[in-house]
This record gives sequence, structure tokens and C-alpha cells, in this order.
Amino acid sequence: VSLQQFSALTEVLFRFLTEPKEVERFLAQLSDFATMNKISLGPLKNIVKSILLVPNGALKRNLSSEQVKADFIALGLSEEKASYFAEQWKVNSPTLTRLAVGQTLMINQLIDMEWKFGVTAGSSELEKVGSIFLQLKLVIKKGSQLENVYVELTLPQFYSFLHEMERVKTSLESFS
Amino acid sequence: QLVSALHNLTRHVVYHGLTKAEDILSLFPESFHQNLKNLLTKIILENISAWRNEAQASQISLPRLVDMDWRVDIKTSSDSIIRMAVPTCLLQLKIQEDAALCGNNPVVSALTVELSKETLDTMLEGLGRIRDQLSAVANK
Repeated sequence: VSLQQFSALTEVLFRFLTEPKEVERFLAQLSDFATMNKISLGPLKNIVKSILLVPNGALKRNLSSEQVKADFIALGLSEEKASYFAEQWKVNSPTLTRLAVGQTLMINQLIDMEWKFGVTAGSSELEKVGSIFLQLKLVIKKGSQLENVYVELTLPQFYSFLHEMERVKTSLESFS
Repeated sequence: QLVSALHNLTRHVVYHGLTKAEDILSLFPESFHQNLKNLLTKIILENISAWRNEAQASQISLPRLVDMDWRVDIKTSSDSIIRMAVPTCLLQLKIQEDAALCGNNPVVSALTVELSKETLDTMLEGLGRIRDQLSAVANK
């Protein structure tokens, strides 16, 4: 496999790694590559599978690009091609790492928040009220389902909630 | 009959938000005993703000926030990455269901939510906007 073909294949691979949901596109690009270079698809798929093992293992163990390059050379790839792959790896690793972290388990993840506030005008007990309320709708991911939680807060509660959240932000920032 | 009449009187006063003695006095019929009228008015006036607050507290509403707690964790590893140091926030909200529906046994449920730093930043932006809108309304 020439260097040009290898770099085209690497491009296809990295595009798939950075967008793991685009499976169909990946398979289509693979079969285009196979026909263009007159390689049969079956063996190509096997080769791709083994190539993909390297970045996946590297991601798990936070390997640097030199280590990725050394791995490929140990697997029998030429120096040139291994360097090329390692370069691509360096460029793409922030995106890939972010994706992997995003896949990490999150309990009851907050997805979205909507709000409205208004004034209570009257009720069956009090003819004229005039108190301000704030209603929050939190969209939470429980397992694979989304659940909506509605909460009402009074103004003082809202201000202390805001204050607490700002403290959380300071805390999170000191750890990044 | 007496209790029921008293109840109606106090409800009427609370509902209409009567705060002046004259308004309350004018509710009594002409032939009502003078001293009793004054005594009742005095007692009602003393209690009126407490009654109004209680009525407001037991209004129908969406579930209300009663308490909140938070903690910050650092995720050090997972099945997708063996070593990392990602801070995350766990927020626990204690929510009480509609007071009017629960009567004397309010049901408080605890909801724990996890937020990443990005989610927290977005949330703070939203909360900031709420605060700005609230001050705009208050200053009108």
C-alpha cells in the first residue's frame, strides 16, 4: 500500500473515530477506497479492524503520539506510515479524548433547563396576592430516558440557588 | 353555627385583605354587642398577617424546592479511559410536592442531578439572565 493510499485511508479512519455515529458513511467511504485502489473489501475490513485497535487502546491509556508510533512500528508498519499516523493522532487526540470522557457514566445528567417567572395574582383564599414566583423545568436523562422535573422557587430561594451555583463553579474551576 | 359564622367572617377578611378596623367593624350587623365587636376585631387584626401568610404558603403550586445540597467529585477513571481527572458536580434538590394535595403529610423527594462543567456554565448563564430579567422588572 503506497503512502498516498495509506494517508487517504488514515483520513477515513480518523473521520470515523471523531464521529463514531457516522457508521454508514464510514462503511461507504471504505468501499469507495477499496474500489478506487482495487483492493477487495473483505481483507480491507479486517486490516481496518486491527488498525482501529491501536487508537482505541491508546485512548484508554492516554498514550502520547510517540508511543502510538512505536506501537505501529512494532506491528510491522513502515517508519513513514507510522509517523504519519502518529501525527494525525496528535492532531485528533483532544477531540477523541473529549468523546471518551463524554461517554463516561453520568448519573441523572442534566440536559436542559427552561424557566418562566411571573406574579401570582389571586387565589381561592386571597383575592389579591402579587407575589413573584419562578418556575424551573429541568430535563434529566435517567438511564436512556428523558424526564422533566418541574420546580417552583421563591425569590429568596432563587438568589441563594444562584449563589450556591456560583460557588460550585469556583470549586470546579479550581480543579480543572 | 357560631364556629361556622366566625370561620366565614375570618375567611372574608383574609380574602379581601381588609386591614383597617373600620372595614372589619362595618361587617358586623347594627345590633351587635359593641364590646364583643371590638374584641373580635382586635383579635382578627392581630392574626390577619399570620393567616394571610399561611394561606399563601398552602396555595396550589408546582412542587416546591425546600432544600439543596451539592458536592464536587473528581472522576479519575472509567471503562473508556483508564486515567483522567475530570471534575463533576452532584446537585441534590429536595422537592416537596404540592402542599395542598398532601394535607398534613408533605411528601419530600430528593432528586440528585449530575452536571458537567459545561452544563454548569450554561446553567449559570441562564440563571444570570433570570436575575437580569428580575431586576429589570423590579426597577420598572
